[in-house]
This record gives sequence, C-alpha cells and structure tokens, in this order.
Amino acid sequence: MASRVLGTALFRSGFTVQDAPKYGAERRGAPIFSTVRAARGTAINERGVIHNPDLVVVADDTLLTVPAAGILQGLEQGAVVLVNSRESAETWQHRLNLDVQLVILPAAAEVEDRAELPHIGATCAGAAASLLGVIAPDVLAAAIGEELAGLGELVVEQNRRNALAAYRAVQDKKGLVREGKAVAAGDYTPPAWVELSVDDVGIAAPDVRAVANSVQVRTGLWRTLRPTIDYDHCVNCWWVCSSLCPDSAIRVENNTPIIDYDHCKGCMICVGVCPPHAIQGEPEYLAQQREAQSADTGAGDNNGTDTADG
Amino acid sequence: MSEIISRMKDLPSAHLLGAGTPMCSGCGGLEALHQIYDVLGENTVFVNAAGCMTLLSVYPFTPFRGSWLYTAMASAPAGAQGVRDALDLLIQQGRLPPEEDLQVVVLTGDGSAYGMGMSATSGAMDRGLDFIYICYDNEGYGNTGQQYSSATPHGAATATSGGTGGFPGYKKDLFSIWAAHQPSYVATVIASEPLDLAKKIAKARDMSGPRMIIALSPCPTGWDYDPRESVAIGKLAVKTGVWPLKEYENGTVTHTRIPRERPAVEEYLKTQGRFSHLFRPQRNEALLTEIQQRVDRYWAQAQ
Amino acid sequence: MEPILLTGNAAAAWGARLAGVDYVPAFPITPQTEIIETLGAWLDSGAMPGRMVTLESEHSMLTAAGAAAATGVRVFSATSSQGLLHAMEMLYTVAGWRAPFVLVNVSRGLSAPITLEADHNDVLAARDSGFLQIHCTDCQEVVDSVLLAYRLAEDTAVRLPVMVNLDGFYLSFTREPVRLPDLAAAREFLPPFDPGSMRFAASAPQSQAVAVLGGSPYSYFRYETHLAARNAISVYQRIAAEFESRFGRERGAVEAYRCDDADIVFFMIGSFASKAREAVDRLREAGRRVGLLRPRLLRPYPAEIIASALLGVRGVAVVDQNISMGQGGVLHTELAAALYGRGSAPAILTSFIGGLGGREIAPQEFFEMAEVTFRAVDEGRSPPPRLLYTETELRELRKLQSVALAEREQTSPAGRATP
Repeated sequence: MASRVLGTALFRSGFTVQDAPKYGAERRGAPIFSTVRAARGTAINERGVIHNPDLVVVADDTLLTVPAAGILQGLEQGAVVLVNSRESAETWQHRLNLDVQLVILPAAAEVEDRAELPHIGATCAGAAASLLGVIAPDVLAAAIGEELAGLGELVVEQNRRNALAAYRAVQDKKGLVREGKAVAAGDYTPPAWVELSVDDVGIAAPDVRAVANSVQVRTGLWRTLRPTIDYDHCVNCWWVCSSLCPDSAIRVENNTPIIDYDHCKGCMICVGVCPPHAIQGEPEYLAQQREAQSADTGAGDNNGTDTADG
Repeated sequence: MSEIISRMKDLPSAHLLGAGTPMCSGCGGLEALHQIYDVLGENTVFVNAAGCMTLLSVYPFTPFRGSWLYTAMASAPAGAQGVRDALDLLIQQGRLPPEEDLQVVVLTGDGSAYGMGMSATSGAMDRGLDFIYICYDNEGYGNTGQQYSSATPHGAATATSGGTGGFPGYKKDLFSIWAAHQPSYVATVIASEPLDLAKKIAKARDMSGPRMIIALSPCPTGWDYDPRESVAIGKLAVKTGVWPLKEYENGTVTHTRIPRERPAVEEYLKTQGRFSHLFRPQRNEALLTEIQQRVDRYWAQAQ
Repeated sequence: MEPILLTGNAAAAWGARLAGVDYVPAFPITPQTEIIETLGAWLDSGAMPGRMVTLESEHSMLTAAGAAAATGVRVFSATSSQGLLHAMEMLYTVAGWRAPFVLVNVSRGLSAPITLEADHNDVLAARDSGFLQIHCTDCQEVVDSVLLAYRLAEDTAVRLPVMVNLDGFYLSFTREPVRLPDLAAAREFLPPFDPGSMRFAASAPQSQAVAVLGGSPYSYFRYETHLAARNAISVYQRIAAEFESRFGRERGAVEAYRCDDADIVFFMIGSFASKAREAVDRLREAGRRVGLLRPRLLRPYPAEIIASALLGVRGVAVVDQNISMGQGGVLHTELAAALYGRGSAPAILTSFIGGLGGREIAPQEFFEMAEVTFRAVDEGRSPPPRLLYTETELRELRKLQSVALAEREQTSPAGRATP
C-alpha cells in the first residue's frame, strides 16, 4: 500500500513511475516488500528488484537484523534508510554499522489492535514523501485519497492524518534522498556465469529427502503479538491449546504446554481458547523490551520462553 | 497407531507436522491438517493438488515426516491411484516389505474438491481406491485471494462476488455427492472440534477403501476476521448448525453432534467481514432469513 | 523368431509385454484403444503379470502413470490426439518429476474440426514438455522402440519419460510382418527397473515435486531436465548400437537412406517416410541423386548427427505432416534452426505441408517435391512453403461446401446462403 501511495504521489508530481509489490509464497502476516521507481520525464526501462536503492523504507524494524530478509542489500554510500522504530538512529547505526543515512520514523503508540496495522503503510509513505523532497503535502493527501478510495472516507481520513503527521515528523530531512544513477556500461563487473553440470537425478529433481525441516524457517518473525503462558494459572489442559495451535507451535512436555516462539506466528488463538485464561497476549515489541531488560538485570524470565528448535 | 481416542486427554500430545510453514497466521486448514497428521502419522504419502497447501513444501523445506507428492489441481486422486497401485505391486512382487507400506492421503482445497478435481475424485471412488481424501474447505479460491468457488456459501462476499447480495449461488453439498458414490466413509470435521475430528480420522485410518473427509477451514484472510477468532468462529459454525458434523458409513448418515439449542446463524455470520454487507449499512433481512431458513430446513430434515 | 503379422497397435502392446511393465494406467481413444484392449486381455488371462487401471481421463491417466513411476514401478500408457492434449498439463508435470516411463502416442489430427486420421500436430504439441520422442515408420520399429524407450527413460543419466509415436491408421491398424524379440533376449536387453532414490516407502520418506520460490532454483531444475534430455542423444546411440548387435536391426537416432552421394534429401518423420523411401528408389532409377533423412529421435533433437548426414547435400525437401499456425511446418523451422550458421549446411530448404488429417501423399508428389527442390538448388533460392493440395481436391471441397450451404437453405429458412 505504501508503495502505491508513493507511486501515485510521484506520478501526480510529474514523474514517470513504476511501482510493484513482490509476492512470495507466504501468507498474510509474513514479511512483504514492494518497490517504487521514479524518473523525470523519461520512460523507466529497468524492472523488478531495485539492486541499489536510494531509499529503503522499513515498516517492521525486526526485519532489519534478519539476513534472509536482505533489506540492506545493495545499499550504497549515502543511501537513506527510513526505519519505523521505537529505537533511536544511534542504536540502529551502532547495530547495523553501515555507511548510510538512517532516519527514524518514531513508531506509533502500541498497536494492540491488528486492525490498526494497515495504517503503517500510509505513515511510511508520508515520511518517505518528505525525504524525497519532491512531493507536496497536498499531492500526498490526494494520492492517499486515490489509493484508498475503496476503503471508505473514514479510513482515507485516518490514513491522511497519519501520513501528513509522518511527513512533518521528518521535515528537517526533506530532500535527503538523492537521485540515483543508472548502471554504467563502460566499466562493469561481468557476471560470473557458470556451466551447469549434469547432476545426478537424485539431486537434480525438486525432491526433499529431509523430514520436517520446515522448522528451519523461523515464522516467529511474523509475530506482532505474543502469547505468554502464565504457568501459575496453567492447569495443564495442554490438549486444548496445543491441539488448536494451527502451527504445531505449542509442544507438550511433562504434561505442560510450551510455546515455540521460533515459529509462533502470533495468531493468538491460544489466548482465546485457554480455559483458565492463563495465556496472555501483548505486543511483541513490549515482550522483547521486557526480555532485554530482564537479560540486563540477569533475572531470568521463565514464562515459557523457548528459542530452541521446535 | 490404533490407540483409542475418546476424551480430549486422549488427543495426541506429540505434534508431527513441522512448524515453519508459510500458511497464514490463524489458518483453520493448517489447524485441521496438523491434528489429522497427528492421528495418521508419518507412514503416509500426501498427494497434493494446487491450492494454499501447495506451499507447505517449498524447496528445500517440508513440514512432513512422511512423504509428499505434488501433482496438479485436477488430478490428485489419480496421483493417489498411481502411488497406491505401485505400492501394492511392489509389495505383491516382494520388492517392498509390507511394513514399508504407506497410507495414501489426498490433500486438496475446496477449489479442487468441489470443482476441478471432482471427476478425478469420483473416478477414484468408483474404482474403490484405498485412500483417504482430506479437503480443507475455506469456501473459496483462497490461494488466489478468495474468489468464489462452488464451496462458497450463499451471500458471502468474495473477490468475485462483491455485490450487495454477495455470492448468488449456494454451497455445493459435497458430502452428499461423495456419499452418493457409496465409499467406505465420508465425514465432515472442523479443527475447532478436535475430539470429533480425531475420532473420525482414527476411524478412517483403520478402514480401507475410499475415505473422504471435508474439513471446514475458517480462513482469516478470505473470510476477513482477526486470526485469533478462528476457533471461536469454527465453534459457532457447528453450534449454529451451519456446519453439521456428520459421517456416512454403510449407506447411513449419522450426525456426530446435534446442536440442540442452535443460536441464530447471524451470530456466526456477523463474526466475518465477508458477511458484513448483510448487517451494514442496514440489515438485509430477506437474505438473513433465507440463510437461517435453509439451516433450519436442513436440521428439520436431519432429525 | 519368425516374423508374424501385427498391427502397429499390437506391436506397441507387445513392446509393453516384452518390457515386463508392471502397471498400465489407461484411457480409450481412437485409434489407440486396441493397445490397451490387447494389454487388458493379456493381463486378464494371466499371460502377462501386472495391473491395468482405466482412469476417468487422460489427465488422470498421466498423473497416475507419473505417480506410479515415481513410486518405483515400470509403467506403460498410451493415448492419442485429444487425449494427449487433455493430458498436456501432466506431460510437463511428470517430466519435471523426472519420472521415467513410456507413453505410446498414436498420432491423429487435432480438433477442430475433429477427425480420426493421422498427422503430427498432437505429438509435436508435446515437443517442449520434457518427454523424449521416438518416431516410428513401421510396425517393427514400434515394438523395437518401446524396448529402446524403456532403456532410455530409465538410464540413470537420463531419467525422463519417453514417448513412442506411431501414426494412426497407417501403422495403428495396419498389419505388417514383425519379428518379436525373444522374451529372454528382451529381458536381457532391458533389465528390471531400478528406481534408485525415487520411490515412496515408510523408511525412506521424501517430498517429491515440491514448489520452488524464485527464478534461480526454478532455472536450475528446468535446465537440469534439459541437460538430461541432451544427454539422451549419446545414451540413445549407445543403446541403439547394443540393440543392433543383439537383434540385428539398425535403430540409430537418425535414419539416413541413400544420403551418401545425394544432391537432395527428403526430411520427414513417421510412417509416410517409408513412402519417401520408395520415392527415393524410383528417383534413383530415374537418375536423380536423392536420399531420405529421418530422425527417429526428435527429442532430444540430434542436430549434430543431422548436420553431418547433410554434408554435401545441396537441398532438403522438408515434409511436415503438421502445421504451426502462422509459422508453418515445425520440422522445417527446427531444421533451419539446427543448420543456421553452419558453413557446410545445404543452401536450400524447401518446405512442404502434407498429410494433414491423414491426407495421402502420392508418389508423384514426392517426385515433384524433389524436382521443386532441384530447381531451387539451381536457382539458389528457396520457394515459399507449399501445401500439398490438388485441383481435384479443391473441386471436391467446393462441392462439399455447396452441399453444406444447400442443406442450410433447406433446413433453415431464416438463414440465407451468401450468393
């Protein structure tokens, strides 16, 4: 959504635009990304993934440190990274250690209601529009109206408010993003093409001989809400929560249900079905803050936290 | 694998299906599949048709401890035929020890089961194929963004039935169509009733011939509700009588749960965005009444 | 063994029987049905062990065939025309599984208009599927090719399904003398199927044919299938040489008949190639140096063998019993692609479309195709493609058209024939 708002805003500002979402196999809740290209007047011939982005907008800061997400790939010196985060630019600069310009878009207050989540897109688009320095606020507002028209005036208004607030929040960095250059043909690194060998059919067919290795995929990263079992109140009726967890992410040991946070997607079904109401939900970032604090103070938090393989 | 499941406590505590699959958070179909897998176990080969669950196994990952073969949308039961016949032949010829045998399980969505794959399924039942068929029914082409299928209920809004009345057709009665083939077993299940589900799957597991299971699969994405509500919505589907839990065996249909005090169907409908147009901007009394009457008529005939 | 009279369909069934197939998923379609009926009778009587299952469609039939091969048994199936097209999704799919088995296709023209008689548009529609293709000219080749096809499909360096093609009517229902290989010799040539790691068993769980994300793994798996198919040229030549030494019949990837000193050659596949062989002999008697080049193996395409067989040839008359709408003959296009850029290539390729829907090709037409090609060689310029269609045929067709319109006038007063 953010990319379409940004694309439309750039288009309405007189640019030639190309925007596209990238679909993966994963479903709602999984990380997604999209791209926007803009050029002055000329057609955009390049397509697909942007290899050297001038601006990267990160709506979910937990993805930044996941190498597989590849968010920071291809960033060149001077590129701008806009992060929607509760943490400071210094913290991220220290953590990432990259020669880029980090801009923090302070994350909105706690998002406990998932229905609020879509607004992050408009917020990010607002801040990005500001950093690009070529989109006027009224054009941004119009773009939001155009892109979200189908969702009703209330939603449009709320998103407009969020986007314009974000636009103003980073106004001191207006125009920080510089225009990129095309890949030069004069002096380039040739691709290291290889000759494929004829591999044995045992490996050359799309077959998997490992079993249950899907656990290597950490779907816990999808989580925005975290369920936590309060073992003081758990009555060990594991057959309820562990049967009803869609993802086999509540295992049973010694009659006790244990949540596998590497894979829990945070659907919160277990919170709703727990007969003694012993499973509580909270925003993931709060849980992470609490963990970080207890790690700092050395006080172990024993509420079913589990980071081993499921 | 012949333990008796009669109480919730008897449900399997070891969960065999690997986590880490790309199904949506709160997926009612995955919830059913993992419960089913716990009962069927790893000596199985799942023959899959195109649908959401195509992506359970994405190279190089699989959640299965047993085997899997991805075929195509129309012909998973024919794939099961080939695997079953080949296993029989190998065992007959002494090339495969009997203990290496596998239960052959077809896994498809409603798009395949109710539509494109129906003739292959019919053929497999005609031929008395020894297999289990699991249909995860989320009442639309969910993998492509929930367009209506012939499993979509009357009045539901989908990506291709967004008008004021929603889907004008009626959910196809696949249970009866399957039962009309007189297979060994047909049952409806839902993951929000894990005991009923486990009993039926255990029963199917210990039978032979065609064993046909339809799992209504609440779908946060396609039905438009918060993922946490999947179980509550599933329970309402049963309580309101929208999703009858039943089984067919030896020519007889038996309801395994008869909701005595059925709450109004709208209690179920109003939990889901796909029916919100029945309530807002104003109540569509005619449609709500029709939907209720059809459920009432079903239960009047069933009892 | 002494020759006996067999139809092409019976020869195909014998090929499956001699190959010791375990499993036959089937579906009837003219002109193939006799193959599965023959096998069904043998299986019912116990003359042949194994199991046959009639599916409810060719799409399901191919799915069952691939699935059974992927489970580890030797599979045979047969279809034709519309059936092959109905199964098209699964042709690509099971080739991607790398499931080795043999499918006989009895060629028949495609609808619309629906017809029963032979041409090659059905089998050529499957040309990019990953199935390898062996094309037969007579009934003897049918039985031999089925055996060769199993060796090829199951070879560990190949592992792909193979299609054996014979023309409807001209071979399927035509009896010719066939020497059946002795059962013991056939078994020696074709040992039992070893599925290797591809199988399903409790102690060896595996997920076959899983999805991929992204173009990179997809490219790898697809290109490996291509490389395996390319491998199949040398593997086929080795197997054919072994076949020849064992059974005394030459079955190389390409038949070159009187090509050595030829000025021009016919280039074609299928049963009508024997008509071309006859024409070559007659033309030779008339003093024309003409030959016939006929790929038995069409997938993989034996480009190098074809190019070297054409060394010294000045013109090639390509006879296509198929048509790619808006482009022309498939064999012509592919031959041109294979020869382009080779300095030694013949200067002239002429293109003839003939034999669509089983239309005869008369000896005089072969002679004339040769003459046209000779003239083109002399003039140094290839003529435009030519449909083999005579004045008489057109006259007859016009009569049919007038009957069709007349009937419409009689039965439908509202409809008026165009003047």
